[in-house]
Amino acid sequence: MQRYLLSRMAQAVVILVGVLLLVFFMVRATGDPATLMMAKEASPRQLSEFRHLMGYDRPLLIQFFDFTAGALTGNFGDSLYYRLPALPLILERLPATLELAALGMLMAIVIGVPLGLIGGATPGSLWDSLGRTLGLFSQTIPSFWLALIMIIVFAVNLHWLPTSGRDSVQAVLMPAFVLGLGTLGRLVRLTRSSVLEIMGDDYVRTARSKGLPPRIVFGRHVLKNALMPLVAVIGVQFGYMLGGSLIIENVFAWPGLGRLAVESISNRDFPLVQGIAFFTSVVVIVLNLLNDVAYAFIDPRIRYG
Amino acid sequence: MNPLKRLSKAFFLIAALTLMLGGCGAAPSPTSVPAATTAPVVQPANTTAAVVQPVNTAAPVAAATPTAAAAKPKGTLTVALSTDIAAIELPQAPERQAANAASTMYDGLLYPTADGKLEPALAESWDVAADGTTYTFKLRKDVTFHNGEPFTADAVVFSWTTYSKPDVRYASTWTIADTMTKVDDYTVKATTKSPNALLLRYASGWAMIPPKYYASVGPQAFAQKPVGTGPFVFKEWIKGDHLTVTANPNYWRKGYPKVDQVVFKFMPEPATRVQAIKAGEIDIASRLTSSNVKELGSAAGITVVHYPVDRVYYVAFNNVTSGKGQPTEKKEVRLALNYAVNRPGIIKAIFDGYGQLASGFVGTSDLGFDKSDPYPYDPAQAKTLLGLAGYPNGFAMDMSCPSNGYPGINDVCQAVASDFGKVGVKVNLNLMEANAFWALEEKKQLPPLYIDSWSVTLGEAYPRLSGALAKDETYAAWYDAGLAKMITDLVATIDISKRAALYGTIQKQMRDDPPFVYLYYPEAFEAVRSRVSGYQPRAAEDYFLWDVSVSN
Repeated sequence: MQRYLLSRMAQAVVILVGVLLLVFFMVRATGDPATLMMAKEASPRQLSEFRHLMGYDRPLLIQFFDFTAGALTGNFGDSLYYRLPALPLILERLPATLELAALGMLMAIVIGVPLGLIGGATPGSLWDSLGRTLGLFSQTIPSFWLALIMIIVFAVNLHWLPTSGRDSVQAVLMPAFVLGLGTLGRLVRLTRSSVLEIMGDDYVRTARSKGLPPRIVFGRHVLKNALMPLVAVIGVQFGYMLGGSLIIENVFAWPGLGRLAVESISNRDFPLVQGIAFFTSVVVIVLNLLNDVAYAFIDPRIRYG
Repeated sequence: MNPLKRLSKAFFLIAALTLMLGGCGAAPSPTSVPAATTAPVVQPANTTAAVVQPVNTAAPVAAATPTAAAAKPKGTLTVALSTDIAAIELPQAPERQAANAASTMYDGLLYPTADGKLEPALAESWDVAADGTTYTFKLRKDVTFHNGEPFTADAVVFSWTTYSKPDVRYASTWTIADTMTKVDDYTVKATTKSPNALLLRYASGWAMIPPKYYASVGPQAFAQKPVGTGPFVFKEWIKGDHLTVTANPNYWRKGYPKVDQVVFKFMPEPATRVQAIKAGEIDIASRLTSSNVKELGSAAGITVVHYPVDRVYYVAFNNVTSGKGQPTEKKEVRLALNYAVNRPGIIKAIFDGYGQLASGFVGTSDLGFDKSDPYPYDPAQAKTLLGLAGYPNGFAMDMSCPSNGYPGINDVCQAVASDFGKVGVKVNLNLMEANAFWALEEKKQLPPLYIDSWSVTLGEAYPRLSGALAKDETYAAWYDAGLAKMITDLVATIDISKRAALYGTIQKQMRDDPPFVYLYYPEAFEAVRSRVSGYQPRAAEDYFLWDVSVSN
């Protein structure tokens, strides 16, 4: 177990270094933000003063070490656009994104897993068709389109919910639904297929043949094994959700991390873009790590494998 | 999951983010495109613009003169902004939307009227010395800041000192004055090194702040909870969501403001703004597109407003670096290319017919705009002129464009290239990633032809003219000594009618010997609910809300 954990952590560090490199150099691949930050009338002297002030006139390698040293202590520098330290700006948006992701995930699990279980246990039934249709629908429908349709129906026509924003408690419902829908579909299909697969396994046949009631067979043997792959998927999906959804947060004017990312990218706000990219990567890496550990606890085959 | 897979996932995440950076113009919302973000920020956002010609609005302001007897402010006005505003301290506001919201809490020394004049505001009168380098402002005596501090000459000097420091975003709008001194408690004197006609325009955007409060809370806290003399008082700023300001009960314009609360909601997606105004959640939605307008159709109780923005799209020539010795140095060739472009066709096909033909670098709402006709679309004339220039069979040339840098720009570039081709000028079009394009433009490394746009927010075309044509300017690719001299003279001409006449002369010169192909002035679209009256957006997409009212 220890060896397993250590190797996982070592991998995480390698990935982190890769992330640092990518974040820094890809952000710089298209030049520096001076031309976008300064008025078009700004004189060449003003531009070079800006570059000097921001340190963009130093060699890239030195800038990189500077960035790395800062990033490891959570200091990404000041946002060019907000003129405030980047990390607090990111953390400020985290609660909104967390709220959205948590509710979206909850909805996906509460609806998706039971539908998948029923569908897998009773293939061809009405519930199964419903679950499969929902699974297909949720993974193919463009979220931008769905979001707008929901706004038109529930906010403009029925006046049940606000179109956007985070002013009221109900405001989270539509964005959470749209965000969770993709995961919901994935969970339905995954649960269904793993139940189906396990139902055909030898040990289930054995359990049945020794006369266990179907309820016990399903509850004790099928369920436990079927839920195992879900742990991995849920962990990874949640990581992505925490990165904030660019499209959904934009359409619903939800003040989360995804929208901050979009704005900072179009403003070429280097420190903020780097901060967000690094922060989200760390979140995904940590969640993956936790996920691997949890998985190892649940399934002994992993830690000894 | 194996490490390779994870690495590829992490890579994908970063790549996705970075790709968006690369093609930021391609980001889903056109909201970021117009003035503020994707395009180089063209002019200090916190300068208030003055507009010469009234723009076409839903409900023009009736009278801007304060009246003593008036009802108490009532109702809430809700305005949707297309950006998450980054700063509400006016001199630090990075773009127009933030500046519009912030300006509700402040007043300038002068007030720019919708027709381009300057009226008294915090200064009841002003005087410019004969040599044009000393500007004396007499201040109102009945003004207090939101925190109760009196507004005096000390506050003006303090504000100027605070915001003319180099780390202030638009310090240049303050440092236009070389010194600022107190004459007596209600008189201040600004001086400039040389006569500068633009000082009064900039003074209308100078935000006045209370020295004691600022000193006691410090710059960081002030930026989060600014205090001014303006019609509205700061109430609440939830980052990324909304800003709320409430009516200032002691406002010096008696009887104003008319509404007791303004809420600015930040809604980046134009389609959402359209739905929100339909649902009655917001009263004003700006930065819409012509397709949003189609969608709004004839929704009950909503008026769609459109007006030309003070921005010019153009094909630039180059006689400084890459264009030296090229055919475009010949006047006839540049004239020919102006005749060659089917501009009405471009406006019709690409912008649903919304937009105006550009006739020069002075915008329709700028001081001294000359109504002379734009060049007609006349390919035959273009061919004749090319023949006269010695290119009867045309020539080939490179042209660059900032891909997705502005709404519809890629289509415009292709249309222009094809029109040039029809008269024999074969264009090798290079649609470049916009930021890479601007980086090359700064280094003057673009080919002899390129397409870009330039906006001003001052109510005068001077910044655009000077930026594009004066010697050694960052984005100037054309130099004509005579023209440059006239532009330098502009700023020293304090008398407004003489300056207007000089703008006319410059336009004539730029029409007879064009340093650009003038394409079009774009239009801005806004939707306003009919319960709102007095709202009048101007050509710089700016507005004032002190005289706006709402009914139920």
